[in-house]
Amino acid sequence: MAILGGATGAAPPAPPVKAMRRASVARRIAAAGWAHESRIWKIGGWVAASVPLGSLVFILVVLGHKAWPSVVVNGTHFFTGSAWKPGSTYGTTVHTHGFAHPAGSSYGAWPLIAGTLQTSIIAVVLAVPISLGAAFALTERLPGWLSRPLAFAVEILAGIPSVIIGLWGVLTLGPFLAQDVYPVIADHMPDVPVLSYFRNPVGHGEGLLTTGLVLGLMIIPIITATTRDLFLQVPPLPKEGGLALGMTDAEVARRVTLPWVRSGIIGATVLGLGRALGETMAVAMISGAALNTISPNIFGTMGTIAAAIVTQLDSSFTDGTGFATSALAEAAVVLVAITILANALARVVIARSARHGMPVGRGG
Amino acid sequence: MARNIRGTWIAAAFLAAGLVAAACGSASTTSTAAKSTPKSSTSSASSTASTSSSTGVTVETPPGASLTETGSTLLYPLWNIWAPAYEQKYPQVHLTTAGTGSGTGISDAATGTVDIGSSDAYLSTSQKAAHPTLLNIPLGISVQVIGYNLPGVTAHVKFNGKILAQIYEGKITTWNDPALKAINPGVTLPSIPIVPLHRSDGSGDTFIFTQYLSKQTPSGWGTNVKFGTSVTWPSVSGALAEQGNGGMVTGCKKTTGCIAYVGISYLSQLLGDGLYYGELMNGSGNYVLPTSSAVSAEANYFTAKTPASGTISLINGPVPTGYPIINYEYAIVNTQQSSASTAKAIRSILEWAITPQNGNSNKYLSQVSFQPLPPKVVAQSVKQIAQIK
Amino acid sequence: MAVIAEPDRSAIRRRRRREVAFRVSTLVTLALVVGPAAWILLGVVLRALPHWRWSVLVTPTQGAAGGLSNAILGTLALMAGVLVVAGTLGILAGVFLAELAPVTGRRWSVTGILRSATDVLAGVPSITLGFVGYLALVLALHWGYSLLPAILVLSVMVVPYIAKSTESALRQVPTSYREGAEALGMRQGYALRKVVLRSAIPGVATGLLIALAISSGETAPLLYTAGFTNTLPKVALIHHPVAYLTYPVWTFYDYPTPAAHYLAYDAALVLLVLVLVLLVAARLIVARTQRHADR
Repeated sequence: MAILGGATGAAPPAPPVKAMRRASVARRIAAAGWAHESRIWKIGGWVAASVPLGSLVFILVVLGHKAWPSVVVNGTHFFTGSAWKPGSTYGTTVHTHGFAHPAGSSYGAWPLIAGTLQTSIIAVVLAVPISLGAAFALTERLPGWLSRPLAFAVEILAGIPSVIIGLWGVLTLGPFLAQDVYPVIADHMPDVPVLSYFRNPVGHGEGLLTTGLVLGLMIIPIITATTRDLFLQVPPLPKEGGLALGMTDAEVARRVTLPWVRSGIIGATVLGLGRALGETMAVAMISGAALNTISPNIFGTMGTIAAAIVTQLDSSFTDGTGFATSALAEAAVVLVAITILANALARVVIARSARHGMPVGRGG
Repeated sequence: MARNIRGTWIAAAFLAAGLVAAACGSASTTSTAAKSTPKSSTSSASSTASTSSSTGVTVETPPGASLTETGSTLLYPLWNIWAPAYEQKYPQVHLTTAGTGSGTGISDAATGTVDIGSSDAYLSTSQKAAHPTLLNIPLGISVQVIGYNLPGVTAHVKFNGKILAQIYEGKITTWNDPALKAINPGVTLPSIPIVPLHRSDGSGDTFIFTQYLSKQTPSGWGTNVKFGTSVTWPSVSGALAEQGNGGMVTGCKKTTGCIAYVGISYLSQLLGDGLYYGELMNGSGNYVLPTSSAVSAEANYFTAKTPASGTISLINGPVPTGYPIINYEYAIVNTQQSSASTAKAIRSILEWAITPQNGNSNKYLSQVSFQPLPPKVVAQSVKQIAQIK
Repeated sequence: MAVIAEPDRSAIRRRRRREVAFRVSTLVTLALVVGPAAWILLGVVLRALPHWRWSVLVTPTQGAAGGLSNAILGTLALMAGVLVVAGTLGILAGVFLAELAPVTGRRWSVTGILRSATDVLAGVPSITLGFVGYLALVLALHWGYSLLPAILVLSVMVVPYIAKSTESALRQVPTSYREGAEALGMRQGYALRKVVLRSAIPGVATGLLIALAISSGETAPLLYTAGFTNTLPKVALIHHPVAYLTYPVWTFYDYPTPAAHYLAYDAALVLLVLVLVLLVAARLIVARTQRHADR
């Protein structure tokens, strides 16, 4: 300040009376504001906390409005039909129940619904045990100097954008699995029920199992990170008690640590499941993005609702009647409904386990 | 602790402010650089400038404007070459390009979300009905090749619509199928399974490929599947769906025995990956390679038939030497623009794009292996462009 | 008379085997998690580094070549917007859920509904948000591809995340702090700001940074809301498309020219570095607070 004044050689400015008065006014307003601070917090909190509910309603209203023609015209066929038929978009337009749509168009989303559930189930089945094991290794087995950077590596995996994982899946992982891993599995599977699902043909690395694996990889960090935090919150006393009674580490893990955090793990699993159900870009790249195919074995190409939305949204706009976009909107509503159902189911399970279970080792 | 945290936040705030300032700074410097360089570098180009008497296209001098283009991913590379060249000549106009897909190009042009949409496919009847003020203006000609991955086969394998339809229907499943051998005498076709690839995303390439299949087998594919930017592909064991033209090329590269339809812009990549492309049977029963003379033969035949609206399929023409899968690439523009100056700027860009000396010169088109518009079609496009008000 | 039972050797062996299997399997699973992460990271770095040019950072995209300054600044602008919108809403919502929401014993309370809506929204697929953003904001409201719809869509996506992390950070603030503040006669709002929220700042900041990392890596919700442009972002909320870093990855990796492929991998590398910086920052904040707390 002084140096600046000296450099310009100007006389020191008169005290800014006006500005000072303004400042005091501002301070008074602020003071008045702070006096109502509790109320401001409360109102702001109410508004902000209503945003998720409001957004959810908005999403469902917009999609529902768009989906209505498809809901009316396709009816239950949408859930049972297995052909996604845009019809002849360059042919004639017909009317059903008052809604215009291209001749021959009818939408059955069963393969997409099935594919969404199949890939997500594979992902969760793979990810939960791996995540639990990794979280145990990070919290119980490894020294801090090693577990901290490794925990960070898990966080990085969570942060890798899904396009990049998709790119890796389609260019590196898929071909590797199709050439070196899948044939070994497929050739050694006996032709008995269930296991025959793992028999040839193995395809070309794009399909159900590759998608499930990559989705699993994407949700592992979510479940691992949450589980790790949960494990760290388990107080040491019960664990030490278990060890003092002569339990092995494995027994302490099974009888003390896991029951302690069970509901948290269910929550983390549902979070991961939600991500797997809705993952879009990576699935569009590695599933084969088929619309009408339920894979006959675990290696075949298939599609999911989310991938269908991103791959078909553009061409749906070439349907001048808007019916194709309407069908995609209905698919989106179904997808949101599935995630809501998964959430509700988790709530029920958590409530159950909270009612039944003692937190610490239930004996036996 | 609290103080330290606050210090961090203050530092972060300053950092952010600095970033914004840097952003503004660089924005202003680059824009001036872009404005100053072209004058010196394109003095020769400006002499070919505003009029071209030979084709009768007048490129209007545009007012200052900022325009957006979105749509076809096949046209996107060309727009990316056109936009900087046009802006060099008319720095008062700024054109933003994006490749979102033809369908979005059409719907965004219809709603006024963008100024120019681009599409590989012309507007359908229902689209015309929904948006009567939309024009589809031919800008250039694109070609589709049929690529395949057959190690050891160095000849161009011949295909026709009937055989391709049966492959995509799962009725022909191996490369040494008698039907394929019959039309490929002298070529040793291996006994490996055929893996048909199709696009998973909606696409103008699918539109013209399925149109070829429909026209060559009207009672087969033309009745069962029909054509469109996205069709209900028959379920074929082992068939693969790929994202984008690039996905078709990479997918075919890693899959021995594949067959794929690919836009000609990707030809060099296709060949670079050790794949090859086939001869196609045209409407007069001859097998033809996608050479530039075969493409212009086909284009010239359809020139006379092209209506004023530009809406026509160039597939499967009866010319003996014509290559059967070519198409017009379209600009989709609303005739009723929000302001006269926007309309003028749009007209200027499109006029520049279709002029043989400017946008339609080989200098730009050859980079994406497109073919220029025939003069008569240029004249028709000019008339369509003049309707933009 | 106490008889010391002969130890059941087979049971001991079984338990020992189980213990070994447990220890080995935890390490194997950890390797299964860390291995692919390293594989993916190395894959991107090795593809990007051989032809890396620093000029990529300062030149805008020209067609499918050039640099990424437009996308970098666009992503930063989007993140700044998300920080303002989602940060404000998320923190307020988190404060509300943890501190202010009325506590009732009933099964169906307003707070319970708001909280479950937050959970459900966290699971809504991002492509659905993008779809709705396109239909409602870009088309119906005529905003066009621009910054505002993109920011709103991303914000709706991460608000639940920030709310949750704020809520859990606040829950870890000891009750004694609140009681102390009350004993000193502070008003609830003042105590909240000066005492409770301040001690929760590290947790809140970590949540914010991770939310930013998530939003910077998104593609699906931006494709149909932000559009893309070769120019640097304009100071305009609507009507001007804005570039972002995932677009070149998604669009240029299957483009017909090598320059485009390089750009796709360069964008992937820049994106990874950006995410890494955010995560490291989050880590540092946590580490710092832990160090201070230990003292």
